[in-house]
Formats: sequence, structure tokens, C-alpha cells
Amino acid sequence: MTVIDADTDVHKGFIDVRNMGVTFGSGDSAVVAVKDVSLNVRPGEFVSLIGPSGCGKSTLLSIVAGFVKPTSGEAMLDGQLITRPGSDRGVVFQQYSLFPWLSVRKNVEFGLKMAGESQSKRNITARSLLDLAGLLSFENHYPDQLSGGMKQRIGIVRALATSPQVLLMDEPFGALDTQTRVVMQEILTNIWQQFRISVLFITHDIEESIFLSDRIYVMTARPGRIKAEIRVPLPRPRKAEMTDSPEFMNLVQELKGLIREESLAAMAPELKDRGLSGFGMKVGPKGVGEIF
Amino acid sequence: MGSMARVNVAAIPIPGVDADAGRVFETKMTSPPESASNEAPDELAAIGLAASEPVVPEPEIIPTVSLRDVAQAMLKHITRERMITAGLACISIGALFLIWYLGTKYRFEFYIRFKNVPTPAEVFQQAAQVGLSNKFLYNIAISVRRILTGFAIAIAIGVPLGLMIGRYGRVRDLFMPVVEILRPIPAIAWVPMSIMLWPNNEAAIVYITFIGAFFPILLNTIHGVHSLDGVLVRAGRCLGANEPQLFWSVILPGSLPHIFTGLAVGMGVAWVSLIAAEMISGQYGVGYFTWEAYSLVDYPAIMLGMITIGVLGLACSGIIRMVGILLMPWLAYASGSKR
Repeated sequence: MTVIDADTDVHKGFIDVRNMGVTFGSGDSAVVAVKDVSLNVRPGEFVSLIGPSGCGKSTLLSIVAGFVKPTSGEAMLDGQLITRPGSDRGVVFQQYSLFPWLSVRKNVEFGLKMAGESQSKRNITARSLLDLAGLLSFENHYPDQLSGGMKQRIGIVRALATSPQVLLMDEPFGALDTQTRVVMQEILTNIWQQFRISVLFITHDIEESIFLSDRIYVMTARPGRIKAEIRVPLPRPRKAEMTDSPEFMNLVQELKGLIREESLAAMAPELKDRGLSGFGMKVGPKGVGEIF
Repeated sequence: MGSMARVNVAAIPIPGVDADAGRVFETKMTSPPESASNEAPDELAAIGLAASEPVVPEPEIIPTVSLRDVAQAMLKHITRERMITAGLACISIGALFLIWYLGTKYRFEFYIRFKNVPTPAEVFQQAAQVGLSNKFLYNIAISVRRILTGFAIAIAIGVPLGLMIGRYGRVRDLFMPVVEILRPIPAIAWVPMSIMLWPNNEAAIVYITFIGAFFPILLNTIHGVHSLDGVLVRAGRCLGANEPQLFWSVILPGSLPHIFTGLAVGMGVAWVSLIAAEMISGQYGVGYFTWEAYSLVDYPAIMLGMITIGVLGLACSGIIRMVGILLMPWLAYASGSKR
């Protein structure tokens, strides 16, 4: 229906991660960050990866982005082995990653400039993307003049400027306050609805992952493995009201259960062996001291 | 491939996020002051900046006498801070002259001896007499030429080398041992060696100036690369920048603030080195002028030489600071900026 749809190749943007393992260091000090993870993102699909902090979900994204090489297994994009970063994969970082020395528009133009596009084409593309993000009036500002939410919106459209096949997002709203975050999620679904490219979205926020995704992978505590894969049957386009629907609530409950176990395990591995029920019984009369 | 299609994005109404809605959202975001975090003030500032131009105090002006009032009000508003700054600067420099004046007037002598120190008036006379003579101006021109040559070579070598050392571990391993050995040797200690090394005096003095400026520029450039946020380099690579592009478009501009710190420090050390070299081995130059004045017992000329060095040094660092502001306008908005 929209012009952008014509631009997206439905067969492009297939992320396939197979039997991936990542070990940092070697010998006694070796830390297994990710163990035997397989997952995929189909063309045009929005997939979230959720798990407790330190479970290796960001490491996984770094591999797909091409920053880190896996110890075992492989990551492929459209059948091609991923070996280094490239503009076919747009990345939005958790930290603000706009170049402070470039104006907002020049930031969005950056990828196109690297690709050798002409000034006039860069300008037109950047301005239309900024308009999409509702920030056209700030095109000549510097990033340091903007709020966190504005910076991340620019980060998203900057990553889209080079027409990547996939968008990799590493907790992009993690640094924002709750209100801004909710609005940003809506903006993101709207932008995604326009571009229909594959998205791999890392988060530790359950509601956020449900609201945005078609599918959610839940990871275990370190060493990170895929614990569960959950489908989100909510209709598109997603609306803010949907978060009050019973389906949404059920999914939240389900995910909460899955993640709580892992969060506990991540904080104190020994708790996992005793089980959650054991946790409750022992703390009761004698206080916390017995466990810690 | 999709370029033509992308161009039309602006024209498409987007459900929920069309341009107008986006702007409404902008204002909504700013309005609740309780929206926690340090974000709100930033946004207000941003919007305030965007809106500041059209909001000329038009409604308040009654077009009879008020234009003058506004002008006066503005004058008052603008100069208040600056008047204090300028006033303090006058007090600072005035105090120096006052001590000098009083010391020489009463021939103060208690451990410090003002006996032979010329009075401000004598120096002023000297300046009026010598100040515009060809010989004096020639000395200044020679010194400035030496500084600029040595400083330019220091930038041309120090900045690229610093970027390479900062970026590549192997380059660092190769160059840093030499740098660490040569760095503690002050430029003045290079004077005898330099005279032996170079075919003429002029090259030797330029070399010493270069040595003085080189190390601060090099080390600050390395530091600039190291303190560059890694996420910016990663963002550059994700956006398709190859290594040369990354150098030119990310690492260099990202290190620029530290490079300019290096230039400011380097310029100071370059002057110290230049004057020392001129005093020891020079012909012409402000340092030579000052030392010659001492040999000829021409005390007012010593002071004139010193003041000239001070003014030239001030002018050079002022130029560097101005170029820095022009090249890095974004720093005005950086967090922690005083501007």
C-alpha cells in the first residue's frame, strides 16, 4: 500500500543463528557467555530476545552485528556467513551513539555518505526520515541539544537510512524513563510497520517485548541458552490499549514465570538448585541469613 | 535500489506518527515537569532554542520611546557578566603594573631588588622608540615564522602519528618506546645536539621549536583516540564506514577536542623552547633581542622583549582557541560545557 513496501524485498533479511557458543578467555578463567543457541528471524519479522542481565543476549546481538566472532557455531544473514559489520544490518545501541560533532541531519546522512551517495540524495532521504521520526524541525541541532528519547529516535532512523535488510536493537530504550519509553515503543511499531524489515530486539522488559514482537525468545541465565520460544498472537498494528487485554496479561504472566527463575539463578546460582519453593520455606522463620 | 521509493516517505501519512503528531508529541513530552530524569530540562532547552528566534519581545514594545529602553535593557543585560569579567581582568593586569610601578618608584629592595628594574614609563618610552623600528619588527617576524614552521611540522607529524598510535596496538608498540625515551628530554637540552645536527642555525631553532610542540600534540592526540567512546566507532562501522572513512569521519572529529588541548599546550611549550633556543644560539628573534639587551645593559629593552613574548604567546593561544571554537561548534552544547 505504501511506497516503502515496494522497496522491501520479502525474501531478504533472514537471520539464522545455529548452535552458537561464545566463550570469553581461556583455561581456568574462561567464561561461557552463550552456549548452543539456535534462533532465527524470518524476513519482515519482529523478534525479541529477553533474559536476565548478563545472560549473553547482547553478546549474541554483537555477533549478528559482526563485532564479535563466535567460538562455535555460526550466524548467517540470507545464507551469507556474518564476519564483520556492514550497512546491511542497521544497529541501534543502548547508549546514545549519535556523533556529537554532526548535526542531526548529518548524522542520519552518515551511512549514505559512506556509501558515496550524492549530497542531494542524502539530504532528501535524511529529511524524509527525520520527518517520519517527527524531528524534522531539529535537523540542524546538535545531538547534545536533544533529549534521550529524541536521540534514540534519530538513532533508529539513522540505522534505517542505508536501507538495511535487518535492524538489530540492543535495549534501545533502556536508558529512557518509563513514560518516554512507552511512547517510543509505539513510534517503533509504527516505523516498523512502514519498513517491514526484520528486527532482532534485545530487552529485559517483558511488556516491551510482548508489545513489539511477533515472537519472543527467552534466554537462561549465564551460560545463556534458549529456554523458551513464545509466539505473540496479538493483531497488528499494535495499539497502546492492547496492553490491557487478557491475552496480553496472560503472556506477561507466562513470561514473568519463565524469567523470574532465571533472574534468581543469575543472582545466586545456588538458589536454582534448591528450587523456588525451597527458597520460600527457608527464609520464613529464620530470616534471610540462612540462605546467603 | 529503493532510493526512489524512499524519497516519497515524507509525503505518506503515517498512522500515529505523521509529522504533526510527532510535533505534538514533542510538546507533550516537555509539558509535564515531573517527567523525572534529567531529560526534561534538555528538551526544554532544545525547544527553547528552536523557538527563540521568532519570539522577539514584540508584544511588550510600545513603539514610541521603548526602542531605546529595549536597547538599554539589552545593553545592561549583555554587559553585566562581561563587565565583571573585564573588570576583574583589568584588576589582574593593573595589579601587576601597580607592583611594578611602586617597586620601581620607591626602588624597593628587600631580597628582591628593584634597583635596576626600569620603570613602566622608561619601558613605554623604549617601546615608542624601538617598537616600530624595522629591526624590532623584523625580530618579531622571524620569531613568528620559526614558531609557525616548527608548530606546523609538529601538527603534520604529531596528529596523524597520534591517531595511528591510538588506533593500532602494533603501531603503538613500535613507536611508544622511542617516544617514552625522548619525551622527558626538554627541548632546551636539545640545543647543543640540534646545532650539530642541522646544517644551519635557522633549521636548528625550528627543530627545537618543533620538539617542544610535538610531544604535547602527540600525547593528547593519542589520549583523544583512547577516550573516544567505542560505541561511536562501532556505529561508524555499522553504517558502512571502511577504515580510512572511519579515520576521517569518526576518529579524527571525535579526537578533535583533545587534539586542540594538545595544540594549546604545545604552543606554550613551543614558545618556551623557541625563546631559549634564540637566547642561546640565535640571530634575530625576540629571544635574541631580549638576551642582546641584557648583554648591552639596555634594561628597558629587556622588559620590552619580555612583554612582547607575553603578548605574542597570548595571541597564539588565543588564535588556537578561536580556531577550536570555529571548528567544534558542537562543544557549546556538550554536557559539562560552561558556555
